Amino acid sequence: MKHHSDIVNRLLREKLERETQARTRRHFIKSCAQGMGGLALSSIFMGCDPLGKPKVRTANGLTERDLNPLSTLPPHYSPKVKSVIYLHMAGAPSQLEMFDYKPQLHKYDGQDCPQSLLEGKKFAFIKGTPKLMGPQAEFKQEGESGNWVSNFLPHFKKVVDEVAFLKAVHTDQFNHGPAQLFMHTGSPRLGRPSIGSWATYGLGSENQNLPGFVVLTSGGNTPDAGKSVWGSGFLPSVYQGVQCRSKGDPVLYIEDPDGMSRNLKKRTIDAINKINKEEYAKYADPEILARINQYEMAYRMQIAVPEVMNINNEPEHIKQMYGVEPGKESFANNCLLARKLVEDGVRFVQLFDWGWDTHGNVREGSIDMGLRNKCREIDRPITALILDLKQRGLLEDTLIVWGGEFGRTPMQENRGNKEMAYKGRDHHGDAFTMWMAGGGIKKGASHGQTDDIGFSGVDGRVSVHDVHATILHLLGFDHEKFTYEFQGRPFRLTDVEGEIIKEILA
Amino acid sequence: MDVLQQLLGRLHPLVVHLPIGFIMMGLLLQWYDRKQGQYAQIIAFVYLWAGITATLACITGYLQYMGEGYSFETVERHLWSGIATAVFSFLMYGKLKAAFLSKVPMALSSFFVLALISFTGHQGGNITHGEDYLVEPLPNSIKSALGYDTFEEKQISLTEGNWQSALLYEDVIMPILNNKCVSCHNPKKNKGDLLLHSQEGILKGGESGQVVIAHDASKSEIFSRMTLPMDDDDHMPPEGKTQPTKEEIQLIEAWIAAGHPFEGTVGEIGLKKELFIPFFPKKHDTDHPDIEITAASQDSIKAIKETGIYVDPISATTNFLSVSCINQPNFVDTDLGLLLPIKNQISRLDLGGTQVTDAIVEQLRSLPNLTVLKLDHTKITGKNIGALKDLRHLRTINLTGSDFQADIQVFSDFKNLKKVFLYKTKTNFNGVRSLKGGEISIDFGNYELPPIPSDSIVY
Repeated sequence: MKHHSDIVNRLLREKLERETQARTRRHFIKSCAQGMGGLALSSIFMGCDPLGKPKVRTANGLTERDLNPLSTLPPHYSPKVKSVIYLHMAGAPSQLEMFDYKPQLHKYDGQDCPQSLLEGKKFAFIKGTPKLMGPQAEFKQEGESGNWVSNFLPHFKKVVDEVAFLKAVHTDQFNHGPAQLFMHTGSPRLGRPSIGSWATYGLGSENQNLPGFVVLTSGGNTPDAGKSVWGSGFLPSVYQGVQCRSKGDPVLYIEDPDGMSRNLKKRTIDAINKINKEEYAKYADPEILARINQYEMAYRMQIAVPEVMNINNEPEHIKQMYGVEPGKESFANNCLLARKLVEDGVRFVQLFDWGWDTHGNVREGSIDMGLRNKCREIDRPITALILDLKQRGLLEDTLIVWGGEFGRTPMQENRGNKEMAYKGRDHHGDAFTMWMAGGGIKKGASHGQTDDIGFSGVDGRVSVHDVHATILHLLGFDHEKFTYEFQGRPFRLTDVEGEIIKEILA
Repeated sequence: MDVLQQLLGRLHPLVVHLPIGFIMMGLLLQWYDRKQGQYAQIIAFVYLWAGITATLACITGYLQYMGEGYSFETVERHLWSGIATAVFSFLMYGKLKAAFLSKVPMALSSFFVLALISFTGHQGGNITHGEDYLVEPLPNSIKSALGYDTFEEKQISLTEGNWQSALLYEDVIMPILNNKCVSCHNPKKNKGDLLLHSQEGILKGGESGQVVIAHDASKSEIFSRMTLPMDDDDHMPPEGKTQPTKEEIQLIEAWIAAGHPFEGTVGEIGLKKELFIPFFPKKHDTDHPDIEITAASQDSIKAIKETGIYVDPISATTNFLSVSCINQPNFVDTDLGLLLPIKNQISRLDLGGTQVTDAIVEQLRSLPNLTVLKLDHTKITGKNIGALKDLRHLRTINLTGSDFQADIQVFSDFKNLKKVFLYKTKTNFNGVRSLKGGEISIDFGNYELPPIPSDSIVY
């Protein structure tokens, strides 16, 4: 026995000696500096609270938010919705062939556009004097609300009474990238957090096994503005959107590599977290806790994400209703996934569908053919999504937003001042249509009106900031008070603008 | 020449620091030399340069005053005290060098110079940063103790019942002007010579004349400037300041159209109700009862959260809680006991996808403020669901995908129920979509989108 304890003692002594040897003056100075810096930083970070309420601190001086960044900040007022599904038609859909019916435009079809409309305006491609082009779709008033829907959307007319239209949205950007950034981050330049990031920053996430903000893309391409449209900007990166794929692994590298069992993975993560916890005990830097949480979340996600992202388990009639194509990347699949994600407590689901840029330069980009195909691809899935959420009692807790980054001109595009091969319309930010549906939205409402040819809004013009203010309002946040301190000043999603669009609120 | 004048003028904020530095240097040297008295020569030299640079500062300051269009009242005190600083710096020089004014004690004159430079500097700061620059960060209580006006937001409180008897100016227009205009148009900071805090000020108008013209809103600048585009320099309030809402601007317009009366109630003046509806308190269709309740103890909430149940405040304005077992699919009937410490605060309860059975229904009766109840994808058959009829706030029950098979008429006895979701249950749709004459909507779902020919047409 004595022999054994001797060995143990010797080993312990050796360990201590090794540790002291390894500890150089450099280590000492480094840990001093980090310790002090960490102390200072952590007290600075913990001092700020965007909602101006004192925080409840746990025994170790940390708030619940430090331990779990996806816990909730109480919203300013009672939210109308718990989740958002944002359907973005990347490339900008033509409002004039979908919702904004302009019978007068038929009369002017083929006539030169009046100079007064062109003066001082910037267009992406239109040169000289373009010709006006009448609506290429047929319109009918649908539902009890009598709102106009074109024959490009034969299914959508069944849910027209569920949605509220914004007919005169305007933006000041006329190129895809900046306009998409503006639509999703409130600024046409890089660096601001996206709406989804703001929402998750504010409301966190209920399901501890899934990310709070999920992004799904379809149409063969990601948005022109790149991943910044779901980026977290200056918010902590834990709030950025997680892009999931409807084809192949839902999240890249989510599967364990060959030879790595789940058990081994668990032990690896436990070991890393143990070291991280020791590190935290030393420096008390909340970023370390966030790191620990991320590892654990990733481990849980490995099981939960493939499960929620699998649409094969859905009953046949649901698959048919959405028109899904399992195994492919499609907007229909993404709509069904959006429902499943929201059902599982995901806060913000962002769908981007690419291919709406109908200039008329190619067949797929023509107003009378390409656009019609795109409409068919979204018509059934969106209608199914609204109905499916409704029958599950989820529509009253969910906000659906539909739109593009801008609209399209009433003029036919004449790129290079020549006649184009197909019928097309150029980018146009002066007036375009968006719609919202779900909790807190006045069903069947239509706000805003454009002039006779759909060039500009004449009544009820709303800006991108107004749309943002309204989305935040429905999530329970006062867009003027929901701020984040960065570079010495508080930042808002709506900058210094934005007014809630009360006309479409229930 | 103008360019030079303006450029030199703009150097004033730079130049002023020279006399400040010299005077402080002189004062410090005087203090250091108070016993020995050996440095009089050096101190005199310092004050000489203080005087020279102060004169330079005066000149550049005057040029800036000329070039930048400040009104004389704004700069008056700073101007005179600046000149006095220059003069006194030279006097200090004379006193040290040539025993000028030797009867005045040195300590007293030094102290006076210190006071003078501080005062001048402060006045200058007030011009560039605004008069309340230093005071602004102080709490309201200290501000008012110091005699500064504190800005208080005034609320418009109108209701369905009292809007007609509210005083149009005092209860409606004044709060709008107070919240959006008065912070710049008050006696302390009367931008554009306009005062909007009082009836007299509004009637008097400002630099550009009348701001209200009775019965003609479009000619009244107080209104028309609010409607200018944001990037117009004449737009009021200026960019960056809190803007009045559309509804508030409409009220100002209506008030002027009615002849901008300062007396009389809304009813007497006869304005339309639509103008005021946006200011009525919102009817709450929220996930909690419209009552006040004491907060649940943080320890109870913490204990429940530690079991993995999600507890979430509904909002910062209420103590009601939303509870979700989304992360606890193994939640069983007896686990409801865990929630009893916060039973009064739970208004939204999500037990969807858990192991609960009909036995939970009896226990749910002990949650008096339950408003939204989710029992979807559970084994609830609904045989005793009627026991929940006494929950007078219960608004929504979601039974989607549950084993529910009871007669839906049972919901008719519920007090405040609005929505029941019965999609994918064992009850079949029997044509009933609502109960209690439409008050309760029953949603059986099963919506369909039958195929149509155009589904497969590719263009």
